[in-house]
Amino acid sequence: MRRLNLFHLVLLTPAQTLVTLMLAAPAFYVFWLSLTTSSYGLNPQFVGLDNYINVLSDKHFWTASWNTFLIVNVVVYIELVLAFGMAVLVASLKKGRMLIFALILVPYAISEVVGVLAWRFLADPNIGLVTQAFAAFGITFNWTRNVADALTLICTISIWQHLPFTFVIIYAAVISVPRDLYEAARVDGANGWQQTWNITIPLIVPAATLAIVFRYIFAFRMFSEVWLVTKGGPVRLTEVLGTYLYRTGFTFADFGGAAATGWLMVLGALLLSVFYLRSMYRKSFSDE
Amino acid sequence: MNRLIVTASKAVLVALIVVWSVFPVAYVVINSFKFQRDIFAFPPTIAFTPTFDNYLDLQKNYPEFFGFVWNSVIISVTATILSVFAAACAGYVYSRYRHNALSASAFYLIAIRLLPPLVVTIPLFPWINQLGLADTHLILVLLYATFWVPLNVLIMKEFIDKIPRELDESATVDGASEAQILRHVIAPLSIQGMVACAVFVFVFSWNEYLYAFIFTIQNAKTTPLILSELMDSVAGTNYGILFAAATVQLAPIVVVVMLLQRFLVSGLTAGAVKG
Repeated sequence: MRRLNLFHLVLLTPAQTLVTLMLAAPAFYVFWLSLTTSSYGLNPQFVGLDNYINVLSDKHFWTASWNTFLIVNVVVYIELVLAFGMAVLVASLKKGRMLIFALILVPYAISEVVGVLAWRFLADPNIGLVTQAFAAFGITFNWTRNVADALTLICTISIWQHLPFTFVIIYAAVISVPRDLYEAARVDGANGWQQTWNITIPLIVPAATLAIVFRYIFAFRMFSEVWLVTKGGPVRLTEVLGTYLYRTGFTFADFGGAAATGWLMVLGALLLSVFYLRSMYRKSFSDE
Repeated sequence: MNRLIVTASKAVLVALIVVWSVFPVAYVVINSFKFQRDIFAFPPTIAFTPTFDNYLDLQKNYPEFFGFVWNSVIISVTATILSVFAAACAGYVYSRYRHNALSASAFYLIAIRLLPPLVVTIPLFPWINQLGLADTHLILVLLYATFWVPLNVLIMKEFIDKIPRELDESATVDGASEAQILRHVIAPLSIQGMVACAVFVFVFSWNEYLYAFIFTIQNAKTTPLILSELMDSVAGTNYGILFAAATVQLAPIVVVVMLLQRFLVSGLTAGAVKG
């Protein structure tokens, strides 16, 4: 094995510098800001844990936390079930797989803004295609007034945008299940459902866990879908942690409170990813 | 008979999946070629007279729109080049060398990637204002490039791992320096990985909303941000212009993703399943 030298350090510099300057340093500075009051982050005055106390005693923070918890769990598990069904279906097709695969990926290419635009129009309370179709069945759907409807729309948009990601991960795992396992099961008389339950599902658990962890982390930081659909309204009832942080910092100019919310979110993200980080840690140090 | 039912139900399910994935986007694109009265028609008109009026109106009423599209082009291309360059250089070192400090720094990259992006805007906001970087292309380029560095380093490492070490070694025997090996052996053979990384950064930069929303005021605005402003100002009154603008934003990126889907999938699986 060749030895590390100055040249390698130079090669690592761009990546490490970008990450340290743009992400790591600000993330640590946020911790300091969370213990201070400041005017848009300037001239911070130390106030101890006041910001945390303010945030934790703000009822809007708890609404936001509850909505985040709800949305994250709904989207992650619905996506997982849909992605699995789609993966098994697409894997079983004889032809046209590539085309269907490409079409499934379309939402991945779409900006959140365009996704929201399309769905907001489809679900427009007056002229939306979906709303009017629902109305024909006697269902009223109005996300501009009704909190549950607004959250439903937000979840739908989020699932629509991120299903391709979950699908790709699950699909890769489904097609890598060895064919001869199914052959053997068929010889033993297992039907399609039994094969799915006893062979496919157990073998894709690692990939599914990974997809869940990633989607938890990404859904947890949700901002744009909510901001562009409801701006957190009506009366802040559809707020999530992302919009709560933004509003605290940039609308109410309370950078200390926003920083405290930020650190609470970092802790939440760490908690969600502890499992993933532990396995990555083992892996990075395993082949010493 | 039984087979027929299975085939038919599969066809129905596939059709549902395709409609779910494509319809919202297709609906925006199709509506951009409709007159206002056809946009509002319910049930939707299938046979309508197509028109380019919405695009002409967009050009006439919002001439600055295409300047913002150009901003998106510059920012996305620059961020992509920067991010792929940084990731390829680092990925090479992580692939070819083992050291405790290296493992620690790789772990650091992975852990950092889990930070919610919104959190770093709070401290960055005053710094960026003081450095005079607010509302510049540069700040968005740096943020977008950085955002994908951690995952792209992992992806590049996976791809470079697949290049046999014997190639580096025989080049060394032939007297090539490491910089030459990197340029003439590793770089050409890891193009696939670089394309995969490039797709990720490009799609992200082209579509990103949050950072553009917080860090731009006028000059550096990108297309998604303009779309969100149009959405608030013309929705209900002139959907045609909004759909035309959205189509200009989404068409190129959908084409890119369709054409390069093979690389995207290989990158996703390398970065997620193995990394």
